[in-house]
Amino acid sequence: MTTVTASGRMPIRYVYLETTRQLRNVRAMVFTFAVPVIMLLVFGSAFGSQTDPTTRLQYLVVTTLQMAAYGAMMAALSQAFAIVNERSIGWNRQLRVTPLSGWGFMVSKVIAAMAFAAVSIVITVLVATVGMHASLDPLRWFAAGFGIWCGVIPFALIAILIGQFAKPSFAQPLFMVVFMGMAILGGLWVPLSVMPDWMGTVAHLLPSYWLNRIGQMGAGATGSSGMVEPAMVLACWAIVLAAVIVWRYRRDAARQ
Amino acid sequence: MNDTPVIQLRDLRKRFGEVAAVDGVDLTIRPGEVVALLGPNGAGKTTTVDLALGLSVPTSGGALLFGEEPRAAVVTGRVGAMLQGGALLPDMTVRDAVALVAAAHRRPMSVDEALRRARCTEIAGRRVNKLSGGQLQRARFAVAVVSDPDLLVLDEPTAAMDVEARHTFWSSMREFTDAGRTVVFATHYLDEADTFADRIVIMRAGRIVADGTPAQIKAITATRAVRFSGVGAAAHVALRGLPGVRSLEARHDSVTLRSDRSDDTLRALLTSFPQAHDIQVVASTMDDAFLALTADPVTTDTAPEGIPA
Repeated sequence: MTTVTASGRMPIRYVYLETTRQLRNVRAMVFTFAVPVIMLLVFGSAFGSQTDPTTRLQYLVVTTLQMAAYGAMMAALSQAFAIVNERSIGWNRQLRVTPLSGWGFMVSKVIAAMAFAAVSIVITVLVATVGMHASLDPLRWFAAGFGIWCGVIPFALIAILIGQFAKPSFAQPLFMVVFMGMAILGGLWVPLSVMPDWMGTVAHLLPSYWLNRIGQMGAGATGSSGMVEPAMVLACWAIVLAAVIVWRYRRDAARQ
Repeated sequence: MNDTPVIQLRDLRKRFGEVAAVDGVDLTIRPGEVVALLGPNGAGKTTTVDLALGLSVPTSGGALLFGEEPRAAVVTGRVGAMLQGGALLPDMTVRDAVALVAAAHRRPMSVDEALRRARCTEIAGRRVNKLSGGQLQRARFAVAVVSDPDLLVLDEPTAAMDVEARHTFWSSMREFTDAGRTVVFATHYLDEADTFADRIVIMRAGRIVADGTPAQIKAITATRAVRFSGVGAAAHVALRGLPGVRSLEARHDSVTLRSDRSDDTLRALLTSFPQAHDIQVVASTMDDAFLALTADPVTTDTAPEGIPA
């Protein structure tokens, strides 16, 4: 359908208003932001300042990045509910009588997701550094946080896919499966080192594993590839998901 | 003003599985017309509106807006719409909602101007979920006009409005059409179509069954019912032949003739069938007309043979 291809110029003001509109609703996200912080407080203080043998980073730093990745992922995925809700109200129908293209819509949602993810990452890192005295070079904190922040793009796209195309009654269970699967199998809740081997293999296929990985690499974990390898994997995920969204969007438009 | 039709639908059809929601609609709407699309639920009004706006793809046939693809007209902001099931986000203020949609358009009017035109200035700061039914429709109208469109498409704009709200709504609409712009609105309300539109298009089962000025539509249907008893079924053929008779219905001993010249019908009836008694002559209302047109295609002006008794 032409709505995707005839993208035209990007409505910057629309994207800005859409993002600030969602941020004003930040109260609804408090729980999303609180959970990683609580988990950080529990797990982070349990292992304290020992060094993790795999990454050669302080355990507290590893846990912080894990929780920052988890919180960012959760914040991005929650766009799914925003979209399902907007669809049920009929807001999307109203938007379709504007020049806003499928691309414009997608970009506005990805940016809103990234805004929430940034809030979650900053809160988690601040609690770790200020409240728990996790020690890491500020530049490395920045690299890790920035890596995770950019890495939420595929999760924002997953949220759009669920929100835009799942039947409303099906969106909730689908969201739970995706979110739990990503968190557990990607090693965001419990380190993969304590999990069975097969789960480690599965983890390497999931973007959540690489989201955690890009944070660890940014923080200077041992490993030859640095941030490039996880960044490439996440970029591939983003491209594939964007392609699926565009394809579904056209098919939906043609069927209606 | 140029002569390109604002809306042009050519043999438009849309099937959902076995159901033909729109079943061969041809319609041309010219600049400056105010057209009411009238019909019962399920007549295909909403589907026709969706097809005309390019929100759904026709099974066959085509729709043009301003001589181009509907989406192209939407992108240039020439079309504003209040759609069925197209609502505003509940947690925004009216002003923010209008501003957000304005930001999606290329050359919108100012938000204040849109609010003023839709009589929303006083409720601009109110949240959408705190609005009454009529206020919500006005807010949606503000959203529809913010692109400063040449064509407004309104799908049942006054649903959920009380009488006063409806009055306010139509007065703001008049301001819009006085500037020579085109309005197409779908409605259930005959009086609205009659008083506001300068053309009425009546749909039934996915087709257009009548199309004309309100006066013409009324003329089609301005029949009177001549009702009497005492004339047997054997005389029905002769009764149908009386002057002005458009249709005949019989129930037990009672016969109802629908006539567009009831005086002539009555004179002829009394001459030919003096045994007729309990005679009544009853005027049809616009509602009768609407029901007659939408209930059975045989009763339209093109098919005056009448309903088989």
